[in-house]
Amino acid sequence: MTAEAPPCVRLEDVDVTFRTPDQVVQALTGVSLEVGEGEFVALLGPTGCGKSTLLRVVSDLTHPSSGVVEVRGRPAAEARRANEFGFVFQEPALLPWRSAIENVMLPLEVVKYPPAERRARCEVLLERVGLTKFLNRYPHELSGGMKQRVAIVRALAWNPSILLMDEPFSALDELTKGELQDELLAIWSRERKTILFVTHNISEAVYLADRVMVMSAHPGRIVATIPVELPRSRDPGVRDTLEFLQHVKRAREALKR
Amino acid sequence: MSQPKPAPRESLLERLTPPALILAVALAIWEGLVRTFDVPPWLLPAPTDIAVRFVKATNLLYHTGLTVLEALAGFAASAVIGITLSALIVHSRFLERGVFPYIIVSNAIPIIAIIPLLTIWFGYGIAPKIMIASIITFFPIVTNTTRGLKSADRRILDFMHSINATRSEVFFKVQLPTALPYIFAGFKIAASLSLVGAVVAEFYGSDRGLGYLVITSATQLRTDLLFVSIIVLAALGVTLFAIFGHLEKLALRGEAALEPNR
Repeated sequence: MTAEAPPCVRLEDVDVTFRTPDQVVQALTGVSLEVGEGEFVALLGPTGCGKSTLLRVVSDLTHPSSGVVEVRGRPAAEARRANEFGFVFQEPALLPWRSAIENVMLPLEVVKYPPAERRARCEVLLERVGLTKFLNRYPHELSGGMKQRVAIVRALAWNPSILLMDEPFSALDELTKGELQDELLAIWSRERKTILFVTHNISEAVYLADRVMVMSAHPGRIVATIPVELPRSRDPGVRDTLEFLQHVKRAREALKR
Repeated sequence: MSQPKPAPRESLLERLTPPALILAVALAIWEGLVRTFDVPPWLLPAPTDIAVRFVKATNLLYHTGLTVLEALAGFAASAVIGITLSALIVHSRFLERGVFPYIIVSNAIPIIAIIPLLTIWFGYGIAPKIMIASIITFFPIVTNTTRGLKSADRRILDFMHSINATRSEVFFKVQLPTALPYIFAGFKIAASLSLVGAVVAEFYGSDRGLGYLVITSATQLRTDLLFVSIIVLAALGVTLFAIFGHLEKLALRGEAALEPNR
């Protein structure tokens, strides 16, 4: 009998409680989930349902009050020390005094990537998202979509195995959002990262993910898991299919519960 | 079709002409009043008298140099100690709580009251003057630096933590560059304060420096020399402010850069 490979991310009965002098907030209660290697999982829920907290727990930025968090069979803290996580936020959060390519190089300086290969690596990555002409531009000279592309590339630079994305496209306009969603799918199908993608946009979750985990607030918990049975290599046309709309409907009903 | 040309940049001459004209008129009126009403020079010397005194004043450069030295030495000590302390404060909750009350108290003590004490301890040399310049500049440097270090983007700090960055990497790659504009804002305030500190310290027990010159020319009613000292001090203040303003611009070039290539 061969031992089965551990899941990429495993949470078991995780509680997160924040205590302030005035109140106690149950950010997450009894959250259990397993994410396979290379799986794209969307965490869908209203504001305050703890979906961002869940990402922070996975990446060891927040410690659970109780429960188990494992990444590839070891504690989250170890995975963090092994630079397994690439984090993308709602805002690009770039360093304004560094140019696009210098921003992408930041994590390479920290993870001790071979210095001689840093620039070439960043150039390739930025080229793939169409920013070749903007390598030396500063953040204030870039559009919102370009800045978020830089932020995504920054989270991929040292080739981490897990991408954690916290509503990365919610501040963008519809057109740019669509472009970035497709670019993200292209990156994912090429590099087979495990992606945990937080969003409050139902159709975005269905369009991108293999599985949608629907969350509910007060206390934050997972209320439903919806496998997305749409063909891969999705293109924007899939949004108009009946199947897609049925998935959206199921997710919406799960949110209402 | 010809493109409309951008407006020509205002030249230095164009910008300096209005204030220079106003100054010239004011000086002419001043000179005229003093000559017409025969005002005694101990009360109000004419601008030309002041100019003559400026040229003939002996040791003016020496006194000026000494005061500048005291001010800058105090400033530099304050910058080194202040920035180091701020770095420690943002890394330690204990230090922040333990030290900040005393930093605030230090700012509340009237600096003039400390000068005699420092003179008892360190004598009449330049040491107590440097210390006063240092103490008076300490507060704006520490408060500004601390605020700057703390204003680093929460998410970038999270990002750095998520890739296991060390404290010194976070400090030098994120917090310190974020704080630079705040630090230079503190420097600009501290620059003029350091001069005030050095001059006020020289008022009490010294035989050289611009502060000494101010006090002696006042007590001897050499009002022309008093004016010369004040003008030199004003010029020094403006110069220091301009230097730090320029350094601030240099430090911020990345953010405000219009040229895409560096």
